[in-house]
Amino acid sequence: MMTMRNLLLLAVALALLVIVPPFLGLGWQNMLVNVLIASLFALAFNLLIGQAGLLSFGHAAYFGVGAFAALHLMRAIEGGLPFPTPLVPLAGAAAGLLIGLIAGYFATMRSGVYFALVTLAIAELFHSLAPQLEGVFGGESGISSMRMPWNGIVFGSMLEVYYLTLAWVLVCGLALWAYTRTPFGRLTLALRDNEQRVRFLGYSAHTAKVIIFTVSAMLTAVAGSLQAISIETANYSLFASNVSAQVVLQTFVGGSTVFFGPVIGATAFTLFSFLVSDLTRSWVFYQGLIFVLVMLYVPTGIGGVIQHHIHNRRQLDWRNMAGHYVLAFVGALLLTAGVVFLTETVAVLFGEDYAMVRHNAEGGLPPFELFGASWNPTGLLTWLLPIVLLIGGGALLIRARRRISTIWDRKGPSNATATEPLLAGGAK
Amino acid sequence: MEFAIISTLNGVTYGLLLFMVSAGLTLIFGMMGVLNFAHASFYMMGAYVAYAVSSVFGFWVGILVAPIVVGLAGMAVERFLLPRVHAHGHAHELLLTFGLALIIEELIKIFFGDFPVNYQMPAELRFSAFEVFGATYPFYRLFIGAVAVVMFAALWVLLTRTRTGIVVRAAERLPAMAEALGHNIPIVFMFVFGTGAALAGLAGAVAGAFYPTNPNMALELGVIVFVVVVVGGLGSLKGSLLASLMIGLFSSFAVGLDWSLANLLGVVGLGDWARSVGGLLTLELSSISATIPFALMLIVLLVRPAGLMGERN
Repeated sequence: MMTMRNLLLLAVALALLVIVPPFLGLGWQNMLVNVLIASLFALAFNLLIGQAGLLSFGHAAYFGVGAFAALHLMRAIEGGLPFPTPLVPLAGAAAGLLIGLIAGYFATMRSGVYFALVTLAIAELFHSLAPQLEGVFGGESGISSMRMPWNGIVFGSMLEVYYLTLAWVLVCGLALWAYTRTPFGRLTLALRDNEQRVRFLGYSAHTAKVIIFTVSAMLTAVAGSLQAISIETANYSLFASNVSAQVVLQTFVGGSTVFFGPVIGATAFTLFSFLVSDLTRSWVFYQGLIFVLVMLYVPTGIGGVIQHHIHNRRQLDWRNMAGHYVLAFVGALLLTAGVVFLTETVAVLFGEDYAMVRHNAEGGLPPFELFGASWNPTGLLTWLLPIVLLIGGGALLIRARRRISTIWDRKGPSNATATEPLLAGGAK
Repeated sequence: MEFAIISTLNGVTYGLLLFMVSAGLTLIFGMMGVLNFAHASFYMMGAYVAYAVSSVFGFWVGILVAPIVVGLAGMAVERFLLPRVHAHGHAHELLLTFGLALIIEELIKIFFGDFPVNYQMPAELRFSAFEVFGATYPFYRLFIGAVAVVMFAALWVLLTRTRTGIVVRAAERLPAMAEALGHNIPIVFMFVFGTGAALAGLAGAVAGAFYPTNPNMALELGVIVFVVVVVGGLGSLKGSLLASLMIGLFSSFAVGLDWSLANLLGVVGLGDWARSVGGLLTLELSSISATIPFALMLIVLLVRPAGLMGERN
């Protein structure tokens, strides 16, 4: 439902997205561009898994195709083609449409695990062929280009790129949202829930799936071309499996059952990697851990939990619950601190730098620096601290979770069949 | 001739190695319908465990301990993690194993570093088996092949000639019926998963000493193993043996051949046209040897998803 309040929230978010960036530094503007691109990528990907129930493991293919198509057009503009630079993503969309139509036609002939394997194989085909094809993909080094000025806009600053990206992401995001409101959008959901029935009603399930796949691939390609515009270069590594993997992680952590869930996941992951990747080399490990924990304990993702709480906000006894939520949050924080401390300690102790230090100390175990303090590898405190954090945090979290679920159960029979309340805090 | 013989030998041993890893994957899929993305990670885990153990206790202890450790890890995954997501369907199981693969890879990078480790075969196995055309052929390649053959024989006997095998096959066919007859199906599943993981771990421990042991080995082998099980037919042990040998032979032959589509078209007189078009048509087989398996997998999936030997379509 698009109520007045939701509209207002959307307007505020939009206004913030437009007004704030000029006051930010270059690094943050760049980060925001990445957030927007990742969000569109995840939204387009979620059209398949969240709404049509098709799990694609090769969406990097369409992302890459979009990027290369945009770069080819940008090179043509450099060569004198009178084409407005802000419309370059159209080239990506066209390429994504075409490739998505072909790939989708074949991929959707299969369902379930086999569909995932077909998409995986298609992406691997691109990944292994691209370095060999000089003309299209520029071989191993890839191709690059420059953003050309258009109508007085030079696209020299990151801010201009940001507004261009914002405009495209908003248009595509709104189009996707509008899509879910159309009868075909309802049919998409029906395909996920009961494909046989859809066929029985006289629809061609295959045709519908091809269309859905094509739309998803096209918008993914738009995201890819926005990235090409932003970094002005692309090579075959765009087709790599970790690009496909990233969008899977972001979408499911954010919540594939809610329309804006993938945006939450994409924003959280991009923001965290921007903030954290300088500090730790274990960032991908934490990503994997978060993903597995979400899969195990919060299968609806962060977005799903938030939506569940908003839906039930009137029936809930917030006054009683607030304390437990604070407790759960503290428990999750302690647990996170314990895991991070342990991981970083191990990373330091097994790292190359420390091996050098040990070598210089002739086999001894000299103390190491971590979080601004010095720790003794054989000291009791070094190992007791994370253990206490883990046990204490775990106990707090389990206790709070039990209390919270009793309160949820008491809420009334109206929602007795609803999925059991799960803690967003458990995701960390 | 020299090229053909050496390539055949290398191809067969590589194929047998592929089979060692894919056997567990296909067995698990056939039984539980779980496509285990972490299976190649078990292979990598085997290599690293063997490396860590062998540096203290020697090579043979490492080879013995690695499959046990990896098998236990596999059992733990099946016992404690998979049931939690089972209710949400196969897609969630697949995603969970996918997350686990990521975690295992990163853990290995944290503990052993993001570079190859020096895991070597022992001196007593470092000799040449025989000479072909003046070149010595390493015995260790034959050793890898022999381990795979012994493993396949043992697995085959276990599955077809023993009581345990009957229960396992029954559990694969009709789990509910087998359970009604009084067999503990969850335990059977757990042991099958553990055995599959242990086999991958053994393969890693044996092969890691010959091929490079690095944090990318799971990713590199993983996709090829998927190709093998799909081409052989998901769930079919014989199929994956056949497909392993095919892919193994193909990849060892392809690197030395410079055939291209242009040459092929040259037979019918279109060679010059093809060369003028360039692109895909002039790519040599050796440079696209990494691509062909995926093309093959794609064709199999689209034309005959049951694979070469699979029964279910």
